[in-house]
Amino acid sequence: MNARYPVLMLALAAAVGAAIATSGALPIAMTAEPDSTASSWKQTTPWGDPDLQGVWRYEAAIPLERPARFQGRESLTDEELEESQRIEDEQARQRLAGAEGAAVGRRSVAESPIRGNEYNSFWQDHGRPRQVLRQTSLIVDPKDGRLPYTSDARKAEARASARYGVGPYESYLDPDTGERCLTDGVTALMWQGPNGGHNRIVQSPGYVTILHEEYLDRRIIPTDGRRHGSIRQWFGDAVGRWEGSTLVVDTTINFIDRTNYEWAAIFTRPSETLHIVERFTRTGADAMEYRITVEDPATFDKPWTAVIPITRLNEGTQIYEYACHEGNYAMTNLLAGGRADAAKRSR
Amino acid sequence: MILFVVSVVSLPAALRAHHAFAAEFDASRPFKIRGTVVKMEWINPHTWLHLDVKRPDGKTERWMIEGGPPNALYRRGFTKNSLPQGAELVVEGFRAKDGSLKGNGRELTFADGRRLFVGSSGTGAPNDGKEPQGGKE
Repeated sequence: MNARYPVLMLALAAAVGAAIATSGALPIAMTAEPDSTASSWKQTTPWGDPDLQGVWRYEAAIPLERPARFQGRESLTDEELEESQRIEDEQARQRLAGAEGAAVGRRSVAESPIRGNEYNSFWQDHGRPRQVLRQTSLIVDPKDGRLPYTSDARKAEARASARYGVGPYESYLDPDTGERCLTDGVTALMWQGPNGGHNRIVQSPGYVTILHEEYLDRRIIPTDGRRHGSIRQWFGDAVGRWEGSTLVVDTTINFIDRTNYEWAAIFTRPSETLHIVERFTRTGADAMEYRITVEDPATFDKPWTAVIPITRLNEGTQIYEYACHEGNYAMTNLLAGGRADAAKRSR
Repeated sequence: MILFVVSVVSLPAALRAHHAFAAEFDASRPFKIRGTVVKMEWINPHTWLHLDVKRPDGKTERWMIEGGPPNALYRRGFTKNSLPQGAELVVEGFRAKDGSLKGNGRELTFADGRRLFVGSSGTGAPNDGKEPQGGKE
């Protein structure tokens, strides 16, 4: 279940938003003012660690990779920023189900394997208003804002992308790990949006725990100086440490080769040489910089780094249950769809 | 009754959903139905709305419409009262690939023309417009 998003869609979304504005649609009642209640931020925990606690999520609308139209530019111009803000404000005012949901995801429209606005944003929860920032891509290194795939990895990525939504779906093992209600992978925790991108960070002496709503994922990250273990896991083996006010989480060679990763197509699996370093730095009561550096000689020509702004939500924000298997009708539906496709092909 | 099949102008964009849309639904088979709400299943990873749809020959069909995750809907002010049993709705979406009476719900419109989403004020949901501090969820 990859998600892809395009700043490119903002103008289109605005046009649709304007159309909706005249069509009699009613506004939703959601409020979306900046959180003014998070001033209770304490700089450190009672035991002296930097305090990252609270419920956080990504609410900006920045593509992972830089869209072609921003080639060579790391920042939006004043005019582009103003226009993006205008559109976002208008959508927030409208608070309508409409095409603005199309602008949430991970990649540009052009790279998306799905065409069409099949779900309106009523069904989604993106946060409102999304942050409009100058960054033209989450990737800040390399300077071109693009994933530095090796040529082989790029071909594999294309093959994997082509399979998304197409199949084959012969068995319950064929859908991706999200469709199977397992996980979207470790970095998805901090990036996911509309289906439950809420993360509660809880700290205790020697540990930082991240509870993620979707799939009930959780990471328990020791910060007590221990070394990496040797057990291969879906989320790898994370070891944390504090560098000043930054939590540095090193997750190395112990990724199991089964899940998908946020930057990759659904069916691209991590290699044994994958190494992720995440840096969580609180930059204010309601803001955190999440910086991730990914290194994997089997996949990338060089390491790459993305800087992702994370927002703290209201004090009372809850993480709800996500009992994904409870009603995953999609599994039977897509297997039935696969058989319908096969029957059509054989005719 | 089944009103008509609309030609949907697709926007070249993708949404995150729990699953690949194209695996479950057929983008070449849009539908538009009018029916009454039987029940709403508040289940993860997707809600499912059950509708009774009267066919031109008088028979009734039971449709199932896939919606967003309950957590997201609740945060947007959607409650059990938003789609009461018996409410008349027009639903536009795309049909399941296997031809069963299932689809995704792209547009939901009440009989009087109001469109979802309508999280009315004071529903008790987290973002129902009554939070004094304003919610950011």
